[in-house]
Amino acid sequence: MTLAMFRVMALELWRDRGALVMTFLLPPLVFLIFSTVFAGTTGEDIKLKLSVADQVHSPDSIRLVKALMADPDLRAEPARPDTGEAVRKRVKAGHADSGLIITADPKAAGPALLVVADPSRAVAAPLTQARVQAAMARAMPEVLLSRQIDETTEAIGGLTKGQKDYSEEALSTVAAQAGDKDAFKGRGLFDREDIAGAKKGGGTIAYYAGAVTILFALFSAMNGALSLIEERRSGIADRILAGPAGLGPVVRGKFLFLMGQTVIQAIAIFATAQLVYDVPVLEHLFPWLVTTLAAAVCAGGLALGVVSFCKTRDQAQMLSTFIILILAAIGGSMVPRFLMPPWLQTVGWFTPHAWAIEAYQGILWRDAGIGLLYRPWIVLTAIGLAGLGAALFVARRVRA
Amino acid sequence: MSTPVLNVWNAEFAYRSRKALRGVDLVIRRGEIYGLLGPNGAGKSTLIGVICGRLKLTAGEVALEGADPWNTPAARAALGLAPQEIALYDHLTIRENLEVFGRLSQVPGKRIQDAVTRAMNLTRTVEREHVPVKHLSGGYRRRVNIAAAILHEPRLLILDEPTVGVDVDAREALDGVIRDLRDSGVAVLLVTHDLEQAGALADRVGFLKEGRKVLEGAPRELVRQAFGEEMEILVHLPIEASPEQRTLLVGEGLEERGSSHIWAKLDKGGYTAAGQIDKKLRKAGLIPNEIRVREPSLHNLFTLVADWRRAA
Repeated sequence: MTLAMFRVMALELWRDRGALVMTFLLPPLVFLIFSTVFAGTTGEDIKLKLSVADQVHSPDSIRLVKALMADPDLRAEPARPDTGEAVRKRVKAGHADSGLIITADPKAAGPALLVVADPSRAVAAPLTQARVQAAMARAMPEVLLSRQIDETTEAIGGLTKGQKDYSEEALSTVAAQAGDKDAFKGRGLFDREDIAGAKKGGGTIAYYAGAVTILFALFSAMNGALSLIEERRSGIADRILAGPAGLGPVVRGKFLFLMGQTVIQAIAIFATAQLVYDVPVLEHLFPWLVTTLAAAVCAGGLALGVVSFCKTRDQAQMLSTFIILILAAIGGSMVPRFLMPPWLQTVGWFTPHAWAIEAYQGILWRDAGIGLLYRPWIVLTAIGLAGLGAALFVARRVRA
Repeated sequence: MSTPVLNVWNAEFAYRSRKALRGVDLVIRRGEIYGLLGPNGAGKSTLIGVICGRLKLTAGEVALEGADPWNTPAARAALGLAPQEIALYDHLTIRENLEVFGRLSQVPGKRIQDAVTRAMNLTRTVEREHVPVKHLSGGYRRRVNIAAAILHEPRLLILDEPTVGVDVDAREALDGVIRDLRDSGVAVLLVTHDLEQAGALADRVGFLKEGRKVLEGAPRELVRQAFGEEMEILVHLPIEASPEQRTLLVGEGLEERGSSHIWAKLDKGGYTAAGQIDKKLRKAGLIPNEIRVREPSLHNLFTLVADWRRAA
């Protein structure tokens, strides 16, 4: 009897070719994508997007900017205009992971570099410091050593002539070793500034509130959309198709329900965020509501579109699980996207998760206005309407 | 003669190279129960698909209330389908289910409650209107399944195997519902393997075989035409017959009827022939539990048509 049931299960899977392919081909595919996503989170391969402004324009500051631009471990870009304010704006808008403002000649005493950090990307600030220092150690080690000598001189009240000669010689030697990352490592170079209005932890909370909302919206919507297949199996679709209305009203009704379900889930998640973590949802109610509606349209439409193309429940379950997992991983619901390789960050823009998280974090963390939010709204709504359109198209074609 | 609700002329349909319908004609009138019979694969489901507007004929025509249901939603509005499956939402009550299907059948909002009450009255389900469907018996669910198909007062009601999985009492209740619907003026297309029900309910039956309609008419009339004066003799044995006894039974023209304990034949001799068979069996040491003589039924006709021996 045990073997008989084993045989039944095996034959059912074998004869449902769609489910068979998904059962055995999707897991290695998911592994490849997950390993790519999560391998980057160790920090070693993170390529931060760094906005740089040079307020000094000394020969060494210009050298530093050039060194940063050429650094393969960073994605440095000059701020436009070349001001500290522009850097702060880029970081606050989330367009750069962190910023660097050169506030004094790097050779001068005291902190010469100001790191502008977004606490919601807490790891970005120390990483920026490490990367900049490494870049300097490679490209301009004598500047770091010179700073050290100046600091030492100041501390001990001056150098003798012999010591000065020796330090001059050491500076020349280190300058000649430019390009070697171990030539010299400096200290005390950086100051840090968090973006305006930042509260510790709030950005991360806003991030994960958005991430969990879109994750569960899709998860629940996919489950709800499976009822389309149940109705085909139970004869309900036959009954409805025999009537004048067809399956269009069924699809539209389910879409509205799935939207409502997402909105209520989002209310529950963000109410918790407001009550427990003081995330300012009520202060941004209108853009939050528009974002939530756009996410709801997206989840409902996408789920119905995907399920409409499946013939069996097994196929739909496998495909929806795959889509939920992959989109969540790539889109930043599991790990922040700035920790991923740059190419994967680009791919992430093809997921609704990235856009939903961007919108929620923009509203609740960066006080983003319509200018920053309209694109996520359009993308989320367009994905949802495309899915709904596909589901309605299939519903019109399904007769037999 | 009342107006035809459904007309099918020379219907042909093929699934790729396999022909499922080969020139079927069908007329069903208002206030008539038409029993569509035939073995599996005869084309019954295909014909229902055509009538429901879900399959497009490769040749021929179909008119439901004068229009082709394939491309005329108004024609489909004249149709109600109670599928073979219990096509209801399990967690919803009877009334909630009927409200949903009423709206999906485009019953105007103001009339929904009246339509639901009427359907429950017709199917005698009103006393349990607030009970979730999952808590109902099989027979009760079958009645609700029909109720969900009549909310918009269709002119043609298709009942696909309405008695599958129901006991005798529930079937009698269902028969009453179907008769009431017929009496209210609805044309009923009853697709069934339950020949006893078809014989008892249908005003006319049609037999499909290999995509063709091979017989049509009133059940009694068809049986009379096919069997004339013949009567069916049924022999119930207490034990399985030995090889010698089987030879005797076959020699008397009897055939096994679904079980090795039941043998039957058609014979013009009626009671006299039955008496002779009884004597011969007793002489051979085989005392029957019962020998019954009865008029042939649709079952005999169905076997005949399916075998294609005497129908040709």
